[in-house]
Amino acid sequence: DIHIQYERVGADVTMKCGSMDWDATVTWTANGTDIDESHLNGSYLILKNVDLTQSGQYSCYEGSSWHLKYQTYLRVGTPPREPVLMCRSNNYPKGFYCSWHLPTPTYIPNSFNISVIHGTKEMVCEKDAVPKNRCHIRYLQLFSTVKYKVTLTVTNALGKNFTTLTFDEFAIVKPDPPESVVAKPVPNNPRRLEVSWQNPSSWPDPESFPLKFFLRYRPLILDQWQHVELSDGTSHTITDAYAGKEYIIQVAAKDNDIGTWSDWSVAVHATPWTEEPKHLTTEAQITETTSASTSSFMVPPTTKICDKGAVVGSGAVAVCWTAGLVVAAYSVLFI
Amino acid sequence: GDSWGIFTFLCAALCNLPALPALNCSEELGAGQSIQQTYDLTRYLEHQLRTLAGTYLNYLGPPFNEPDFNPPRLARAERVPSATVDLDLWRGLTDNARLAANYRAYSRLLCYLRVLDGQVGTAELRHRLAHFCASLQGLVLSIGGVMSSLGYPLPAGPAGPPAGPPGAPPAPNDFLKKMDDFWLLKELQTWLWRSAKDFNRLKKKVPPAVVTLRLEARGF
Repeated sequence: DIHIQYERVGADVTMKCGSMDWDATVTWTANGTDIDESHLNGSYLILKNVDLTQSGQYSCYEGSSWHLKYQTYLRVGTPPREPVLMCRSNNYPKGFYCSWHLPTPTYIPNSFNISVIHGTKEMVCEKDAVPKNRCHIRYLQLFSTVKYKVTLTVTNALGKNFTTLTFDEFAIVKPDPPESVVAKPVPNNPRRLEVSWQNPSSWPDPESFPLKFFLRYRPLILDQWQHVELSDGTSHTITDAYAGKEYIIQVAAKDNDIGTWSDWSVAVHATPWTEEPKHLTTEAQITETTSASTSSFMVPPTTKICDKGAVVGSGAVAVCWTAGLVVAAYSVLFI
Repeated sequence: GDSWGIFTFLCAALCNLPALPALNCSEELGAGQSIQQTYDLTRYLEHQLRTLAGTYLNYLGPPFNEPDFNPPRLARAERVPSATVDLDLWRGLTDNARLAANYRAYSRLLCYLRVLDGQVGTAELRHRLAHFCASLQGLVLSIGGVMSSLGYPLPAGPAGPPAGPPGAPPAPNDFLKKMDDFWLLKELQTWLWRSAKDFNRLKKKVPPAVVTLRLEARGF
């Protein structure tokens, strides 16, 4: 007869040696190791203020014959805290899924029961094999005004707890991030990067339920992101990249009309096209090279009246007035 | 003042008129009434409704303005046209049926809203409701315009006088009256979400070019 005993952390545990009398002579072992007599009260084993390390197999042997009289597995744990529940529709309009977990472990087995009520109807949330602690529901009706109420109850030998979520069909729509994000330089365009991506594969019907996208990008050396929102299409050309700088780019998706933005996609890195550096031999060739560049930080040759030393270089922002106007004109031409 | 009087007259007239002949409708709205514009209008209304509903539910007071408020649907609430529909059924709707469902729903919702308008307490609320009604009327006309330009007949006029279809009793008490208002706003909100999806589908299936072509064929 296998016994399992569940006890709370910090509790005092008394183990009886089966049907033996209180005054019988017995020896207790914990995982095969003898337990000192000081823990015994007659034939009872007393464990005070148990902790997790005291989980294990406890056996009781009759004094002289060394017959095994009783055996039990002690599992020390805690009753469940309020579980964390999340429901989300990443495959609208097919349905939604709910997933849950316990904020702290209980160290003993737990069972979960989930109930989904829509108005007066109880719906069945089918448990997923993988990952565990997840179930999914198919919508029978679309555009419902009645909220869904999901209750998750977690039970173990030491207690139970539960949490409830109530939401509208539209509120939980959140697609998965876009997939296959690719960023490429554009030949002969030092300030452009071509970004393309695909709809998340979990989104079942992008024709009837189109997604819109949010692109963010920045050079690795800066902290500030640039943002672009795109209402259709799965590609975009960045036209204001800083020449020669490596960029980090991410895309997010959202249903055109309802719900919330997806998480950011996996980040991709790309550097805009740069001209092959020419072999510099004369002053004249150096001037030619700088004037051909379209970086906003490079000063065109007509502004030699300004102090060159103060202007040339990627970090320099201080340009004198006339240079600034000419640079602006150049930039407009090249964007 | 003056504009309010004219507006009420217009509302009453439009509420009770039979379906406008297709020719008149197109003339009124002008050529090029596209599905895109109707879609944009539903988005604008959805945005407007958020503010209106917030104000109105606060006016009704608790529990109606509580975010978790999730009352059971009473039988009487069935008068208000529901956007809820079986998924496969919704997918399979013909363009005509899809447009007609929207047209009928908003026509009726507009009538109910106007009743609300007449009873509401604060001046701010009256002003907001009036503005919303005007925009909603614009949406109904817009949908009608799309239907006419595609050659579909407009559905029969909105159901019944503002008091509701015959046989439906008025709310017996203040709380139930507030419940009616709550559900009206909820259905309106859901319809606007649904319409965005309806018009998305229509956009893909009927590009604006087709709409203008048909108008040309009619000699406009």
